[in-house]
Amino acid sequence: MKLRRLTLLVAAALLASGATIAAEDEEVTHKIPPGYVPEEARDEQGLWLELKDAERSLNKSALLIRNNEVNAYINEIVCRVAGPYCNDLRVYVIRNPNFNAMMTATGMMQIWTGLIIRAGSTDEIAAVIGHEIAHYTRLHSLQRLRDIKKKMAAGVFFDIALIALAGVDAPVGQLTAQLSALAFNREQETEADLLGTKLLANASYDPHASYTVWENLIAEDEAAAAKREDPGMFGKTHPESKNRASYLKALVISRYGQPDQEKLADQKLLNVLNANYLMLMEDQLDTNRFGRTQDLLERHAEIGVDPSLVRYFYGEMFRQRGADGDRELAKAAYRHSIEGGNAPPGVYKNLGYLLLKDGDTAAARNNFRTYLELNPDASDRAMIEFYLEE
Amino acid sequence: MKTMKSVPPLITALFLASCVTGYTLVATGVNSIDTLQVDAGPGWNLAPTIAGSASRKNAQTWTQDGLLLNRLVFVPAVADGEALLNVKDGSAALPVFRKDMLPNEIEELAESTLLKTYGEGNAILNTSNLRPHNFGQHRGFMFDVEAKVTESPDYRGVAGAFIVDDKLYFMYFLAAHPHYYAKHRDAAEAIIKSATLATPAEKA
Repeated sequence: MKLRRLTLLVAAALLASGATIAAEDEEVTHKIPPGYVPEEARDEQGLWLELKDAERSLNKSALLIRNNEVNAYINEIVCRVAGPYCNDLRVYVIRNPNFNAMMTATGMMQIWTGLIIRAGSTDEIAAVIGHEIAHYTRLHSLQRLRDIKKKMAAGVFFDIALIALAGVDAPVGQLTAQLSALAFNREQETEADLLGTKLLANASYDPHASYTVWENLIAEDEAAAAKREDPGMFGKTHPESKNRASYLKALVISRYGQPDQEKLADQKLLNVLNANYLMLMEDQLDTNRFGRTQDLLERHAEIGVDPSLVRYFYGEMFRQRGADGDRELAKAAYRHSIEGGNAPPGVYKNLGYLLLKDGDTAAARNNFRTYLELNPDASDRAMIEFYLEE
Repeated sequence: MKTMKSVPPLITALFLASCVTGYTLVATGVNSIDTLQVDAGPGWNLAPTIAGSASRKNAQTWTQDGLLLNRLVFVPAVADGEALLNVKDGSAALPVFRKDMLPNEIEELAESTLLKTYGEGNAILNTSNLRPHNFGQHRGFMFDVEAKVTESPDYRGVAGAFIVDDKLYFMYFLAAHPHYYAKHRDAAEAIIKSATLATPAEKA
């Protein structure tokens, strides 16, 4: 019954039938109270035990961001969206340039840094967090565990039949069951979207962020040079971004009206981005995905990230892409970064290397000297001094 | 029916056999890898191609204790426009070598490539201490590598590279930190530093 209701809901949303959406959406609510701990179901208790082990392991991860400013920023958003569930959640920010967020049945939430660099606003981060909290309070992980068990049982019967009838001894059924259960199902995703949007609005974040976050991802995907690239786990487990953006947009507009035209600077997000930009964008640059990087840089320039930093990474992106004309674009971007007054020392080094390629040795050396003056402990000092003395 | 039953065990047996018997001891002294020559110390084993399927055809991987614990990789004669790995799928977005690359750019090429060997997003990899080094008569450079990997020990290592006739010769050592890195770093670095190209007479 519930599945049918949600299917109708999605269809209704796609048709932008605002009144129907509002009425149906009211029915998606939390399934567990704040402070929830499983007491009866053995499978759920077992799941919690395993996840606690996983959390201990995650706590030791070398990829965990331990920066207080980043963690404080994300935790504040989580608590504001989670409301009375705040104390049930533990947030881990993971250094990974792909877009993703995950939540377990025990309240262990992972936020990848790729989400932070892709957010057009704090509201968009809150939208993804609201979606994940909804998975938690709707017990979707437990449902998934039970679904896996059912499918595995069916898979075992299939594999036995395969041996008996065809003589093939391969765990095809079990593997298929495992693969099909990797993601939340469509119904669960839709529930998380609807409840997540409600949590977002209740926490006084902009509910329009629930679909703009997807629109940004779609734009980035369209800008990607390597079209078939792996979009990251969030992309795998959250399919059909265009449909999702579309029905969420219809839902939010019907309930909350049109979005504000005036965009205010999101100082908290900007503070986090500006303070950690070198680390965040160097990780992104290392993916060698220049179309995506360029799309992110355009967004960062638009929302007001320090122009010196954004221009530096434009320079890095053009220089490393190395297409026709990119060398000139890179040099211009580096010079703009310097003009901005807050260029990182690396700008002088990399401008110096490009000038060296141009044969302008004197200008290259001037930039190399500035680089070493600004960064006397540079680990590549020996290489730079080699070019200065050559 | 009987044939069908026997195929999977046969494949498994062949696979296991290749894993067990595929390693061969590297002779101490001068070894040739394509046109690259290195002076090997004792204890290195040449890994079978199956263990590194993304390896380029003429590349070699050596190890002392197993590939997950340490590896010394030689990638000779990478031409302009080619990647350091043999991956046909364009969606991997592997960076490619360009013949006009300077040391900092080869360092970035290596960083992005090695990162992808761990699976994009599964590791953070940093390079540092870029420094000049002459490989025989060829001007080149070396740098250090450090990788933090999901659910794995950290890896550390050292890399060396030079360009001759518009072709890149790239070598790196990576080992689990701290034990295997400390144990083999000096020996691996000595081998990388010994690299040079065979003279035309030696090639003939």
